[in-house]
Amino acid sequence: MKIECFIDGKRTLLMVNSNKPLNLILMEDVESSQFNARCRDGNCGNCVVLMNDEAVLSCLIPAFRLRDAHITTFEGYKKTRFWHDLERAYEDAKSQPCPLCFPSKTLIFESLLRTIGKPSEGEDNDSSLEDETIIKELSLNRCTCLDARELVEIFNSAANYRRRRRVRRN
Amino acid sequence: MYEGIRSPAIHVPKTMRDLVSAATRFRNAIYWAGGTYIMSRHDYYPTKDSYDIISLREIPDFKRINRTDRYLEVGPMVTLNQLASIGKQIVPDPLTQTLHELGTRIVRKQATIGGALCTPDIRLAISGTLAVLNTEIELKKLDAPHTESRWVPTGKLYDRNGRLLIAKNEVITRVRMGFDHEDFSYFFCSGNPMVIPDETVSLTLVCSYNQSVITNFRFCVTLPYGGFHQFQDIEVLARGTMLPFSAQQILRIAKVLIEAIESTNTTISALQKERVRRIFEMALHQLNTQSLAER
Repeated sequence: MKIECFIDGKRTLLMVNSNKPLNLILMEDVESSQFNARCRDGNCGNCVVLMNDEAVLSCLIPAFRLRDAHITTFEGYKKTRFWHDLERAYEDAKSQPCPLCFPSKTLIFESLLRTIGKPSEGEDNDSSLEDETIIKELSLNRCTCLDARELVEIFNSAANYRRRRRVRRN
Repeated sequence: MYEGIRSPAIHVPKTMRDLVSAATRFRNAIYWAGGTYIMSRHDYYPTKDSYDIISLREIPDFKRINRTDRYLEVGPMVTLNQLASIGKQIVPDPLTQTLHELGTRIVRKQATIGGALCTPDIRLAISGTLAVLNTEIELKKLDAPHTESRWVPTGKLYDRNGRLLIAKNEVITRVRMGFDHEDFSYFFCSGNPMVIPDETVSLTLVCSYNQSVITNFRFCVTLPYGGFHQFQDIEVLARGTMLPFSAQQILRIAKVLIEAIESTNTTISALQKERVRRIFEMALHQLNTQSLAER
């Protein structure tokens, strides 16, 4: 099956089986160097990517859903200005995820940061998220390298930087 | 590595008529809702027997949320996150809790209510909760030209052991839930059905009472591999009882429940049995607490 999509901003033509999971496509067909998640059952949470600006588990996305989709892997995300908020938050908290889950946890943090103050979100349209919500959302990634307190600290710090960025833009 | 593996054809019907036509022509095709369950199976890819796929995501009727004075009707392709976001005034409390318990927002945005109800070999807590809430499901037969619809209570979608009773050519087209208000509702899930199904247990319980006398009492115990269990005799036993339950009554009802589950020949581990007993007792204690606080 021929599928055209955008991976990290680059138009990419894929020739893959229509039901091939996105994580395998990224590893085998696109050869994304930093992408290495082979669980294929949504249980490790190490394969998070952004699809049309929403975080998704790439092992649960089949190839046929990729038509014209914009996929951002962690490599692509690092080139955006949003990455600096989380980079500084990791420095402030003096802790960061282990190398195995670093890309995935970072993208989950990013997806949470995007929900703050988003009026269309319904559930969490407050200017901040509850600690419980942050911990629960990050539990998607089963790596236990960071404890709950550190996760909340990193998120709150990144959220402050993100708010300041929005104020400056406005 | 993937030699000899066929790339399945993808059919994306845009109307009900297209769906019926595709379903009639490709009888072995798999209906694809959110894909979270199908893709989380270990044997999903690569596999030699890959069937064609009928994706349901482009049918507008399936994504519709409709509210009337009496009930809320949702299409099967409404995501769990959309359902959870509708609002506490509309979606009953235990359902909201169940939806939040089913997965993180990233998973809920992809999983759909129709898909969650139709998982073939694993029962998720949502089935039990919808059964307790007296939800009805519309099933449509996709055999052209006979496309009949029928409404069934959620409990009738599965047999006692939790096996799905939907025919191969049937799809869920609507889920209808009423706005009945219960005085007490309780939902608790222990474990994760997708990760440790042998240990997971969930309980949904709703109860109404009038001047401390129970007028309505419904509950459902869901075991991922053991189906879901509603026991009308226990519900009848609780109805008419004066609140609060005494400690002896709670122990007795919990014991009757465990015996009833054992008598169904369901595969239930010792841990699950203990969890069912304790969660059920916890629910009854909370019911006591609430009823006493309202006096």
